[in-house]
Amino acid sequence: MRAPRVGKAVQAPGRDGEGMGAVRRIWLLAWRDLRLEVRDRAGLLSVLAFFSVMLFIMALALGPEEEPLRRAAPGVLWVALAFGSTLLSTRAFALEVEDGTLDDLLLTPGGKEWIYFGKLLFQMFLLLPLSLLALLMAAGLFYLPLDRLLPLFLTLLLGVLGYTSVATFYAGLLARLRGREVLLPLLLFSLVVPVVLAAVRATLGLVEGLPLEEVQNWWQLLLVFDVVYLTASALLFPVVLEG
Amino acid sequence: MLKTAQPERPDTLTWVFLGLGLLLLPVGLYLALAAPPDVNQGYLARIMYLHVPGAWLGYLAFFVTFLYSLLYLFRQNPRYDRVALASAEIGLVFMGLALVTGMLWARPTWGVYWTWEPRLTTTAILFAVYVGYFLLRGAIEDPELRAKAAAAVGILGFINVPISYMSVKWWRSLHQTQSIDLTTGKIHMDPAMLQALLFNLLVFTLLYLGFVRFRALLAVLEARREEA
Repeated sequence: MRAPRVGKAVQAPGRDGEGMGAVRRIWLLAWRDLRLEVRDRAGLLSVLAFFSVMLFIMALALGPEEEPLRRAAPGVLWVALAFGSTLLSTRAFALEVEDGTLDDLLLTPGGKEWIYFGKLLFQMFLLLPLSLLALLMAAGLFYLPLDRLLPLFLTLLLGVLGYTSVATFYAGLLARLRGREVLLPLLLFSLVVPVVLAAVRATLGLVEGLPLEEVQNWWQLLLVFDVVYLTASALLFPVVLEG
Repeated sequence: MLKTAQPERPDTLTWVFLGLGLLLLPVGLYLALAAPPDVNQGYLARIMYLHVPGAWLGYLAFFVTFLYSLLYLFRQNPRYDRVALASAEIGLVFMGLALVTGMLWARPTWGVYWTWEPRLTTTAILFAVYVGYFLLRGAIEDPELRAKAAAAVGILGFINVPISYMSVKWWRSLHQTQSIDLTTGKIHMDPAMLQALLFNLLVFTLLYLGFVRFRALLAVLEARREEA
C-alpha cells in the first residue's frame, strides 16, 4: 500500500499562482492519512482494545459500588485516553518516514506549517470518535451519567485538541528516530499533565452536576493551554523539522 | 555565557558569583532570623526567606531556559543548549527547595504537608515538566536531536510558569497571594522584613548565576568527552 503522491495533487487544481491554498492542502493531507489508517485498521483496533481492557480492569478493581466508581470515572477515562492515544500518535509520521514521503512533503514550496496542521487534523479525526467511544464505554462501566452529553463532548474536544497539538509536534520531531515509540510518551506526559488535569476536573464537575459556570473555569484553562500549545507548536514545527 | 575558547576551569566571574553568594549566605540567614516576627504566624514566617527566593529563582531559571531554548532553535549554537540545560538543572534545585520549604511551612499553618490546591498543583506540574526535560535528555543519544527536543520542552513547558505564578490570583486558593506583586508593583510587607527578603533574594541570585556558569562549563566538558 503506497501513500498517494501529494506532489501530484499540488499541481492539479492550482487556482492561483502558488498552487492550492493552505486549507486545501491541510484537508488533503488529513484525508489521505485517515484513509490509510482506516484501511489498515491495526492502529485503530489496538487502541480500542486498549481502552476496553483498561476500563474493564479499572472497573473491576474499583467496583462494584456505584458511588466510588462514578467518582473515579473521569480520572480513569482521561488516563485511558492519554495512554491509548500515544499508541496512535507515532503513526502520524511513521508511514511518511517508511515510504520516504516526508521529504516530498518538505519539498513543497511555501511555509511548512500546513504539514503540522494536516497531521493534527488527521489525529483529531481519529481520536475524537475513539474518545467518544471510550466515553460511552466508561458511561456503561462506571455509571457515568450522560445527560449532559454536549458539555462532555466539548470537554473531550478541548482535551483531545490540547493533547494532539503537542503529540503531533513531537511525533514530527522524533519521526526519524528509532526508539520513537518509547520516547514519545515520556516526552508527552510531562507536558500534557496540565491538559489532562483540567480535563479531569471539568469532566468531574459535569458528572457531579456542578453548575456550568464552575466547569467553565476549567474549560477556560483548557482553552488557554490549547491555544498556547497550538501556536507554539505550529511556529516551532518548521524550525525543528528542517534544521 | 562562557567566552573563553578552551574553558578548562571556571573563570573569575564564576568564582566571584559563587564566592560572594556563599559568603553572603550566612549574612542573609542572620538577617532572616533577626527580622521581626509576623503578626499572625510569629516566628514561623521566617521560612519565607528561603521559600520565596527559592520559588523566584526557580521561575527565573526556567525563564532563562525558555530564552536560551528559543535562541538555540533559531541559531543552532550548542552553547545556547548548554546554558538552557544548566539553567533548567539549577532551576529544578531551587524549585525543589521552594517545594520542600513550602511543605514544612504548610504543616504547622495548614495542618498538612501537601494539599491539592491550585498553587501547589501547578508548581508540582512545573517540577514534573522539568524532570521530564532531563528524562528526555537522558533518552536521546544524537546530540543535535537531543538539543532540539529539549529546547521544545523548554519552550512549551515554560507556559506553566506564569500559570503557577498567577494561580493564587486566578483561583481562590489556600496559598496566600504575593506579598511583592510583580504584576501590579504593590508591596504588602513591613520594610524590615522586605529588606531581609530582598537581601536573601540577592544572595540566591548570585548563587544561581555562579551555579549556572559552573554547570554550563561542566556541560562543555561533558560534550567534549562525548565527542572523543
